[in-house]
Amino acid sequence: MNPKPWWARLGHMSLILIATVYCVFPIYFVLVQSLKSADEDVFGNPLIVLHPTLENFEELFEARRQSGGAVGSTLRRTYPFLAWLENTLFVFAGTLAVTLSVSLAAAYALGKLRPPGFRWWRRAIFATYVIPQTILFVPLYRVVIGLGLDDNLLTLLLVYPTMALPFCVWLLSAYFQHLPREIEESALIEGASRSAAFFRIILPMSRPVLVASGIFTLGAAASDFMIASVFLLSGQNQTIPAGLGTMEVALDELAAVAGINLMAIPVILISALFARGYVRGLTAAMVEGT
Amino acid sequence: MRATQRQRDIRTAYVLLSPAVLLLLAVLAYPVGWEVWTSLTSFSPLQDGATVFVGSQNYRQQLADAEFWRTALVTVVYAVVTIAAKLALGLGFALLLARSFRGRAIVFLAIFLPWAYPASVSIMGWYWTLNPPIPTSYAAFLGQVKYVVDSALGGGAWVFLTATLFNIWRGSSFIAVLLLAGINGIPPELFEYALLETKSPWQRFRSVTMPLLKPFLALGAFLSLTSAFSDIANVWMLTAGRIVFPVLGTQAYWLAIHGGQFGPASALSLLLVPFLLGALLLLFRLFDSPEGETA
Repeated sequence: MNPKPWWARLGHMSLILIATVYCVFPIYFVLVQSLKSADEDVFGNPLIVLHPTLENFEELFEARRQSGGAVGSTLRRTYPFLAWLENTLFVFAGTLAVTLSVSLAAAYALGKLRPPGFRWWRRAIFATYVIPQTILFVPLYRVVIGLGLDDNLLTLLLVYPTMALPFCVWLLSAYFQHLPREIEESALIEGASRSAAFFRIILPMSRPVLVASGIFTLGAAASDFMIASVFLLSGQNQTIPAGLGTMEVALDELAAVAGINLMAIPVILISALFARGYVRGLTAAMVEGT
Repeated sequence: MRATQRQRDIRTAYVLLSPAVLLLLAVLAYPVGWEVWTSLTSFSPLQDGATVFVGSQNYRQQLADAEFWRTALVTVVYAVVTIAAKLALGLGFALLLARSFRGRAIVFLAIFLPWAYPASVSIMGWYWTLNPPIPTSYAAFLGQVKYVVDSALGGGAWVFLTATLFNIWRGSSFIAVLLLAGINGIPPELFEYALLETKSPWQRFRSVTMPLLKPFLALGAFLSLTSAFSDIANVWMLTAGRIVFPVLGTQAYWLAIHGGQFGPASALSLLLVPFLLGALLLLFRLFDSPEGETA
């Protein structure tokens, strides 16, 4: 192919530049705010930080301390951020474990064992995305109370998987369905049981699709704010999003922004680590089938 | 009599399927049933009288209400605008990333980040960035912007716009990555063949890339349709105020939580279902049938 003319290359490069800035700027902006001292927040340039400080992050982990009586304690509220962090970790890890194991089982059933009407099972599971979530939490509250789970993190382990499960079942079962039969059959002929064939051959092969499902699950769980703030009432039991939602932003703006970053940065790092695998898994499940 | 291998497989399949089905039933069956039932009654925690069955009255009342049609219009416009913007931006990003260039890995990560950034907190970041507390250095400037937008379009327009822009920002990232996965799945031979057969890049795009991406576009459009309203709902929770441009979801929430009118609220949110089901059937046609039936 002929080399492109200079103006086409320039156009391509500037489009790439615009796309990158568009995607990253809001993230950069929130990060910059969280590194500012109160002084710079009020008088500085909003786009840059000249004297970065971690005091906003420290403030989140500060234990309750005596500071100047009633006025002081009103102005400097403290939050159980460490508990929020632990709760969030627990919920994410639990959601991942529940979603992936339940989806794998269902996807293997639909993609490999194929009971009668398996395609309709899969469609029915996917169709749960049609249900509007708006006021569903009102009757859901009765279910949660019936199970004795009110103000309990386990509620989220019940609800979050249902947000990612339909997509994961769809993805994994499409992948299993595309896998050539011979792969499993050769193992079965050699005397391996179905479960041995699954754990030793199919599961390792489907790693990219599992990664894709996991990243999608993490994205779904990390996007919820509403369910967490409706069902987790006491401060000690909240996750980071629910907790940040209760903060007094007019007073603690910088600490709240620091909290946003403390939640986002680990999630971003994990996702970025698996980003390529995510794309590979989506391709493998939906197109190639190998 | 010994069961055949096939019969045993089917039994195993149902056992393996049961956790997923039970989980979905536990979380969704009762609430959906409750919502359908409530939409047919006069249930309200604020009234003293007994709950009576009113049939389709709540639905008819909604359909006769001018406010409902205004809300429906806003909902449709919002959904169409955000989905079109997300698909266009996502497709653009995916095509940019499809060719190799120096630093592509970095640009790919940058485009992946808006979706990877946890939406529960990034929506707060956006909201507080665009509606900053008073002492912030740029608050006066954004206050001006808010004032101009609100006085042109009505109070609360700026907050609505915040949620819309956020939804597009995050959704376009998700769709870009999804479409990139689709493009990666197109066999390179097909492109080489198309290079010989077609004249312009535009023609190649239309005759090769587009048809192969169609199922991915459909999946992206459907998933953004079902998730389009969660951002508005989140902003709504943050502001605890009435959005001046209500969508069906927030309007239902308003009716239920502030008005105690659970019947009309349930009817209102269920009125969306036929449209979403229609979109879903379209998706299944595009995605599931051609290769699915042969497998």
